[in-house]
Amino acid sequence: MKPGDSQLEVLIGRTLRIGVVASTVCLAVGLVVALVQPHSSPWLLNAGVLLLIATPAARVVLSIVEYAIARDRVFLVLTSIVLLELVGGAIAALVFHRKI
Amino acid sequence: MIVTPALAAIIFVAGAVAGALGALLGLGGGIFLVPLLNLGLGFPIGIAAAISLATVIATSSAVTAGKAGQHLMNFRLGMVLEVATAAGSVLGGITAQFVSQAVLQRLFAGVTAVVAIVTVARSNRRNVITDLLADPGLLGGRFFDHEHQRDIVYRIRNLPLALGASFVAGNVSSLLGIGGGVIKVPVLNAWCGMPLRAAAATSAFMIGVTATGGAIIYYGNGQLPPVAAAAAILGVQLGSHTGLRLSPKVHVRHLKLLLAAILGVVSTLMLVKGMR
Repeated sequence: MKPGDSQLEVLIGRTLRIGVVASTVCLAVGLVVALVQPHSSPWLLNAGVLLLIATPAARVVLSIVEYAIARDRVFLVLTSIVLLELVGGAIAALVFHRKI
Repeated sequence: MIVTPALAAIIFVAGAVAGALGALLGLGGGIFLVPLLNLGLGFPIGIAAAISLATVIATSSAVTAGKAGQHLMNFRLGMVLEVATAAGSVLGGITAQFVSQAVLQRLFAGVTAVVAIVTVARSNRRNVITDLLADPGLLGGRFFDHEHQRDIVYRIRNLPLALGASFVAGNVSSLLGIGGGVIKVPVLNAWCGMPLRAAAATSAFMIGVTATGGAIIYYGNGQLPPVAAAAAILGVQLGSHTGLRLSPKVHVRHLKLLLAAILGVVSTLMLVKGMR
């Protein structure tokens, strides 16, 4: 543990809360819309799912920024590797989606 | 696939049941949600896993947000282990797109059987902390334990083992749609010197990234139907909330034995399906 860790913990908690609340609202409203009008565009549901998936990734980006500011090289590298792995997953997802 | 309001309601209830059971046992709900969707409602296991992974992300984010500031979660250790778990989950997510339903069902049967046995074997044990050191080191931690009214300090041992367990947990998570805490938490607690509550909280924190690595691949491959996922996510959130409120009132040991029995049944049913 190092000084500054507690601050990052609070920041991460706040980011995750915003993400999960925003995606839950999109999913709840989108679900009602989809059930009332089955043939309407499911954009709200897709937005909710994407927000949900993006939230942990956003938390990783936030950690990278914080470790860069704190000049904590080891953790800057480690969190960057995690982000690259998630980007690899996103690229694989696009390949399966036949967009690449 | 068109999801009727009735089916959405059933998925919502399945999510609530899985979330409540998961919260009571201290696991994610995925290990119950996947069989409910696959065996109970007839969803292909890939879609069941994808929906379950989406609920895992929601639970992880909500739990982490709720526990931030208590120092129970060990962020530094979590971020080190995430390097292994994210690699495992992305590779597992890719593998899952090529593996047959029967193989995944047999794997699920195996994992639930192991979890059931571990649950029974550990149902008497509360915590393994032997040495209380003054200096936690860079990856160790310190938190206030309300149960014993004192500060707990721990150091991490066997980091390579923790990394290996995290990689396997990430892999299994993506293949089966569970969080993977069932693999990481016992390893961190039994062999790496981490108190159970800290291990569980840190695992819950990491699981968001783990499940994201797998969920994004299922989503890209069109395996995550949004209406069903939304119903399941909302159900799991309600269920885990209720489960956490009920958990202080129930007898944990009896509950664990009951849940081990449920997992035994799930394992058998999955095996029977997977052998056909």
